[in-house]
Amino acid sequence: MNRLAVQLNRLQLANPILVASGTFGYAREAQAYIDFATLGGIIPKTITPQPRIGNPPPRTIETSSGLLNSIGLDNDGLEQFIEKHLDYLLSLNTSIIANIAGRNVDDFKQMAARLNEFDGLAALELNISCPNVSGGVDFGTNPKLAAEVVGSVRDACSLPVIAKLTPNVTSVVEIAAAAAEAGADAVSLVNTFQGMAVDWRRRKPILGGVLGGLSGPAIKPLALRIVWQVAQAVDIPIIGVGGIACIDDVMQFIVAGATAVQIGTANFYNPGIANQLVGELSEIVEEQGCTHISELTGSLQT
Amino acid sequence: MGEPVCSPTLPGAVASAVQHQAHVVAQTQMARDTYCLRLHCPPIAEQIHPGQFFMVRLPGTDNPLLGRPFALYDVYEEDGQKAGIDFGYVTVGKLTSAMAEWKPGQAVELWGPLGNGFPLPDVEHLALVAGGIGQTPFLAVAREALGQKQYGNPPRQLPKPAKQLTMCYGARSAEYLAGLDDFQMDGLDLKISTDDGSQGHHGFVTELLAESLESNSAPEAVYCCGPEPMMKAAQQLCAEKRVPCWLSLETPMACGFGICFSCVTRVKLDESGDNWDYRRTCVEGPVFPADQLLL
Repeated sequence: MNRLAVQLNRLQLANPILVASGTFGYAREAQAYIDFATLGGIIPKTITPQPRIGNPPPRTIETSSGLLNSIGLDNDGLEQFIEKHLDYLLSLNTSIIANIAGRNVDDFKQMAARLNEFDGLAALELNISCPNVSGGVDFGTNPKLAAEVVGSVRDACSLPVIAKLTPNVTSVVEIAAAAAEAGADAVSLVNTFQGMAVDWRRRKPILGGVLGGLSGPAIKPLALRIVWQVAQAVDIPIIGVGGIACIDDVMQFIVAGATAVQIGTANFYNPGIANQLVGELSEIVEEQGCTHISELTGSLQT
Repeated sequence: MGEPVCSPTLPGAVASAVQHQAHVVAQTQMARDTYCLRLHCPPIAEQIHPGQFFMVRLPGTDNPLLGRPFALYDVYEEDGQKAGIDFGYVTVGKLTSAMAEWKPGQAVELWGPLGNGFPLPDVEHLALVAGGIGQTPFLAVAREALGQKQYGNPPRQLPKPAKQLTMCYGARSAEYLAGLDDFQMDGLDLKISTDDGSQGHHGFVTELLAESLESNSAPEAVYCCGPEPMMKAAQQLCAEKRVPCWLSLETPMACGFGICFSCVTRVKLDESGDNWDYRRTCVEGPVFPADQLLL
């Protein structure tokens, strides 16, 4: 038996180590550094119904132990994704979770239905939390809208549904509860924290998009807190994400209640890290005397 | 070009790139605020070619967090084998300031080679235009173009050595001119400019390029690396003279290998440039034909 295999309702993964959307391109860019088959799964960059040119540069700026980004969902749209990337991704012998974002419920439904036509996708992750796009309804900050979008996608396809939530709300617990109620198989906690960087001498924001999303080790305690709070309050599998950069970080999220984790910004500065963490996780489970990782999930005592 | 690439549409995605724990062999000061680091890293040295780059990161800290891109200055050999790389840098930020303190033995995290690099020149007269630390790719370019040295695995085969090689190199002032001894080589005509006139031509380096383009033996190809205003001027001069020109861009990067979508530049989708798209400098460049870019 695979001691690292995890189940998140209808979604089964070979192990809990995923790579986060927007931090792994379309995977092919990372092939020199990563053996994809050992990963729990890959979540390619967010797909939108139509092409998006993205935000003007500079799109990223490093902050203390963190990274602010304002990429703006630069992508070629759903049909180009299908044409250029889907076959390649589905050939990689790991779970592929497509991450989608729409401006309204119909967008999400139509994208889900279109992707449902292809065999081999493991799940859909709904990006209802990107801080860098304007003009769309902010599904991630309103429990009713979050539930509506999750419910519609569930009805529109047979794929497991993951809701990726924003931390830029008063209570992520409320949104997570609404997503669970609407039938989400899991929630990804959390997307980036909205932030800003300023060049005061020029009296200008540094990022072309003015505001950005903060990621990296700087946000790990914040993400961990949210994972723990949701795990306490809502009965839904959690995928922890936010500043994970080493095996101890992975274990902190797992004992706090995450069934799986996503590696994000660390992929940028340690290209082989996701592979390394899968190996180390296996050793840790054995070292802890466990027969299966689930014995450690949510084992935090307070 | 010999090296395997990940995708035909991403000429700068290098399938044979490696992540490697390297160490510092030596560090020398090249000019004011300008240093050259020598890193031992055979797996990158063996395959890198001129105009490619690599990411350098200080392991064991979150601050600085990200790697930074640096272009190849040259490959050095030990016992006839390619053993490591030299690269120049200016102390401008967190990592480069820390780097200036690095001593031999310092552990360094590297990944690369990255990017497409400069095309192999196939002309009688090639001109190189460098602004500031933008000189760094041109030592290897010059050695390759003159047939003095081969790079890449398998080694890149130069169609024919350049008969004439002109390098126009501009800096703020004489004290910032780096590596002048290295560029003293047979067959290379080095023209200097400084903003303050403390050495060479008093003015812009692109004025030296313009002079060269006007001369009887004008270059048939131009390679540029430097600050954006310089690149823009070179782009325009070469367009006017219809001389093929390549620009090596240094846009801010977080990863260097195409997964973050930070380092974008505007690439024309038609001749007029009315249609354009943001493209990643790291995996579609960093070297672009100048007429494809909207700077």
